Amino acid sequence: MAEKILWANNVSQHFGGLVAVDQVSMELNKGEIVGIIGPNGAGKTTFFNDITGMYDPTEGQVFYRGKDITGKKPYEVTELGITRTFQNIRLFDRMTVIENVMVGVHSRTKANIVDSLFRLKNHKETEKKAHEKALSVLELTGLADFRYNYATSLPYGSQRKLEIARALAAEPEILLLDEPGAGMNEMETSQLIAFIRELRDLGYTILIIEHDMRVIMNICDRIYVLDHGKLIAQGKPSEIQSNPDVIEAYLGKEH
Amino acid sequence: MVENNQNPIDKASQQNLDEAVIKAPIKSKEKPVKRFFTSLLEFWAKHQTAISLAFLAIAILFPILFNQQYFLSIGVNVMLYATLSVSLNLITGFMGITSLSHAAFLGIGAYTAAILSTRLGANFPITFLAGAAMAGLFGLLLGLPSLRIKGRFLAIVTLGFGEIARMVELNWMSLTRGPQGISGIPKVSLFGWIMKTPAQKYYVILVILVLVVLAVAAIMNSRVGRAISAIRDDEVAAEAMGINVFGYKLMVFSISAAFAGLAGAFYAHYMSFIDPNAFSFAQSILILSVTIFGGMASIAGSIFGALTLLALPELLRFLIDYRLIIYGFVLVIMMVFQPNGLLGSFNLKHIKQQAMFRKSQERSES
Ligand SMILES: Nc1ncnc2c1ncn2[C@@H]1O[C@H](COP(=O)(O)OP(=O)(O)OP(=O)(O)O)[C@@H](O)[C@H]1O
Ligand SMILES: [Mg+2]
Repeated sequence: MAEKILWANNVSQHFGGLVAVDQVSMELNKGEIVGIIGPNGAGKTTFFNDITGMYDPTEGQVFYRGKDITGKKPYEVTELGITRTFQNIRLFDRMTVIENVMVGVHSRTKANIVDSLFRLKNHKETEKKAHEKALSVLELTGLADFRYNYATSLPYGSQRKLEIARALAAEPEILLLDEPGAGMNEMETSQLIAFIRELRDLGYTILIIEHDMRVIMNICDRIYVLDHGKLIAQGKPSEIQSNPDVIEAYLGKEH
Repeated sequence: MVENNQNPIDKASQQNLDEAVIKAPIKSKEKPVKRFFTSLLEFWAKHQTAISLAFLAIAILFPILFNQQYFLSIGVNVMLYATLSVSLNLITGFMGITSLSHAAFLGIGAYTAAILSTRLGANFPITFLAGAAMAGLFGLLLGLPSLRIKGRFLAIVTLGFGEIARMVELNWMSLTRGPQGISGIPKVSLFGWIMKTPAQKYYVILVILVLVVLAVAAIMNSRVGRAISAIRDDEVAAEAMGINVFGYKLMVFSISAAFAGLAGAFYAHYMSFIDPNAFSFAQSILILSVTIFGGMASIAGSIFGALTLLALPELLRFLIDYRLIIYGFVLVIMMVFQPNGLLGSFNLKHIKQQAMFRKSQERSES
């Protein structure tokens, strides 16, 4: 029996007259990899923003493990166990690779300013945990050798990996990936596919937006298709590939 | 078929190339001058504690070597502005929020200390703690409505606050005595021991500077410090990584104001007279100039900035007619060749980590 951990109920997002997300409902079960696809401007990123508290949905609710998280602040959503990456890479550019990932550990450590001013036990424990966690995540993503380089000195594909590493450091149950394969070459894409599968095996539940059909069709258990903010199809990759609406709305435009 | 095969190989070698570029030691293709500076920085980074202690020793010995009122007053001035600049750097350099209200917090601290000591006979440590707490409280009150505003609009709000604070100081006659100012503020007394010689006053501000430097360094080398840097680099990503951005901004703004208030309390006791003119917009600009000139997000930069901008003009006094021209010239040259400020374009901690990592790699290779 599938365990439903994330549930969006009729979520809409209006920007003035524009309806970027229109009554979208979807659910995510523990351990799944679920894809969201759709043409440019379909509302995929906006939907992520609605789930993660970056935007307040105009209508609808988002539930995480039975709890209504609609309107929560992004940092609260992260604390609860949902972390995201960004389509347009948003790394901390004056911080090193390892510091970027250590920021990810923020919500899982608790040293406050007094602990740090007086170098109390809490401070030391936090520093130790942040460092160890960051190193282990960097090893997992193969970035450990570059840990003292500035984040933006990494090649593009590695920057995308670093975004994922930073999100993993927050110890999420659900990982939201916004076009992790964008701008990657074929080799990097193959590595990415293997890496996302590895993450699933490690127990993460993954919701992924991706334009690269190779990634989507290879790794997703289920797929949702958005077009002009509306959910036009959902199902297994094989069903989506042969769905005439999808072909018209999405694949049709590419071929 | 051949073409198809070639593609991934090309890209693979491209990636190796990318990695090689990152791994290459920084030194390889640099010019001699730059290489000299690189190794100088590495030396500094490696021996940072020792070098800081050496500077501290010089600061401690200074009053013994130059025990003249004139030199000591320059020393006090430098350290007062270094304290203010380090505290401003916390919010402006490390966190990326430009504030033009630092003179107001200096003033709030100074007036709090002046009023408590002249009316209630209070002295150290009460006046210092109260000055810092009052400035911190006003930092909180200003931050609550304004820290959600971004960039230059926030700078304008802080500028407005600075003017309001000065207007209150000028017009709340019963409390501040308005334009006449408050005189007869007693000297700092440490549990009955009165700090009256120039050298003693010098040591009081030295202790305050050292404490503020240690506090800011401790904050920046911690979880809170990483949150502060993350907010400076990308607020949206910081929030997505679990950081309560508004909460941190509020806290840091208030702490920064409290440090300025602490400096203000010293200022009141040191000058024994204060009036609203000392806490004007021009004062905020001077503190900000020291921070920008010395280097954003650099504690050492703030100290060197204060040394350069406050001691140098005194030394150039023999060129008194041309002093401001030379001063302006230095600033312009600086902004052209080193726009991040004297020490703002590098991070010693990163330099040290990189150097040590490179060495450990070399060792494991051989
Ligand atoms: N903050 C905003 N204000 C106004 N309009 C917005 C905002 N954010 C997104 N939009 C609009 O909402 C629509 C959906 O955008 P969104 O970024 O969600 O699309 P997407 O599916 O992620 O597209 P892409 O594949 O290009 O990333 C677009 O028309 C976009 O211009
Ligand atoms: Mg998008």
